[in-house]
Amino acid sequence: MAREQQVAQAFVELADTLVAGFDVIDFLHLLTQRCVQLLDVDAAGLLLADGRGRLELMAASTEQARLLELFQLQNEEGPCLDCYHTRAPVACADLGTAGDRWPRFAEAARAAGFTAVQALPMRLRGEIIGATNLFRVAPGRLSGRALDLGQALADVATISILHERALREQQLLAEQLQTALNSRILIEQAKGVLAERRQLRMDDAFTTLRSYARNHNRPLSDVARAVTEGSPDVAELTHPTHPSQRPGTE
Amino acid sequence: MACANATRVSEVALSVRGPDGHEPVYAMGQLGERLEELQFTLGEGPCVDALTSGGPVLAADLSSPNSLRRWPYFAIDAAAGAGGIFAFPLQAGAVQVGVLALYRAQERPLDAEEFADALVFADAALVLLLDAKAGIAPDASTWPADGLSERRAELHQATGMLSVQLQIGIEGALLRLRAYAFAHDRRIADVAREVVARRLRFAPESSLTGDS
Repeated sequence: MAREQQVAQAFVELADTLVAGFDVIDFLHLLTQRCVQLLDVDAAGLLLADGRGRLELMAASTEQARLLELFQLQNEEGPCLDCYHTRAPVACADLGTAGDRWPRFAEAARAAGFTAVQALPMRLRGEIIGATNLFRVAPGRLSGRALDLGQALADVATISILHERALREQQLLAEQLQTALNSRILIEQAKGVLAERRQLRMDDAFTTLRSYARNHNRPLSDVARAVTEGSPDVAELTHPTHPSQRPGTE
Repeated sequence: MACANATRVSEVALSVRGPDGHEPVYAMGQLGERLEELQFTLGEGPCVDALTSGGPVLAADLSSPNSLRRWPYFAIDAAAGAGGIFAFPLQAGAVQVGVLALYRAQERPLDAEEFADALVFADAALVLLLDAKAGIAPDASTWPADGLSERRAELHQATGMLSVQLQIGIEGALLRLRAYAFAHDRRIADVAREVVARRLRFAPESSLTGDS
């Protein structure tokens, strides 16, 4: 059946996008377009929560300004906001009878020509990252199959975004860990330098290093590096002078 | 080649630290060659940062806003040919001898396995470079047992001590330590332990004194 082929094709296409090279906006835009095509709705938008839990529009099936505004309004009220907070699908079959559920949003949606709305959560296990927003001109609810398909598309979007985020964070963590490991080596080298210069035990060398860093309000690894380089600005640390040892007082 | 295959990147390049910054030493192909030269000329890029920050710099997407902000001149030019660069400093604390750079045509981050493999190759490259400087011929039978990836504290403490005893820099001290271990057919970890326990001292003018 042509319809099922379309659905299959859409998923293959989305999967291809994921593997080739991930551009988030490009991918989400494609997703909204497929929503419109496959779910029998007239417009679709994808909103993601920023760090503070505000929903921001990431992609929409149409770039018409008025419609974009409609999506963005949902930062303050609307099905998407409710969906994000309840973590469950939220729908309204006829915004004309919505009453005071979302007064501003309902008015704006009807002014834009839409009568029905459906929001689907973008969620994976415990984490919810945003919501998919579907609009219809004609009143009514989406069929069970359309809802399932819509949720599946939303799930694909969620997985790919979280995966991309995890990879980015992983990269950052990996960088930081390796840098920290190298700092540790630097400190061991500095301990050796101090231990030899001042004939200290290794643990005393470390304490000396650390005290100096704290007293001078400098990062420990900075001081360690300066010590290994024989830098004059840590001379007090590497070549402490006592009155009896001052040069020329033999 | 093995590194490129294991980490699934397009090309690999190696550069060593010279007096004017890092200098390209080896590049698998034209892309790596061009980008190494570019970083050297501009004095900016992931390889440069890897040395100054003392840790790997993983720039999976050179066209991202983050990359463009970090390396305004380099990223624009580089993004034309490469998707991402992963730069691994060849280092042990204060000793930095160069950078291993992995170039990928696509903008895809290194996964955990590829990253781990890259670290292994970076360690191997570090050991090979150090041995070359110390005049030790590459010998498959002793490597990687004495690789610096063991990261034993004593080894690095001994290096610090040696740099004072010999009045040379940390890198020189490490080279001397390795050369001594090689010449006496001893494990470097054992030599380090002797040094830290003050049973073995080094003196300038390449004369070595043991505690007698």
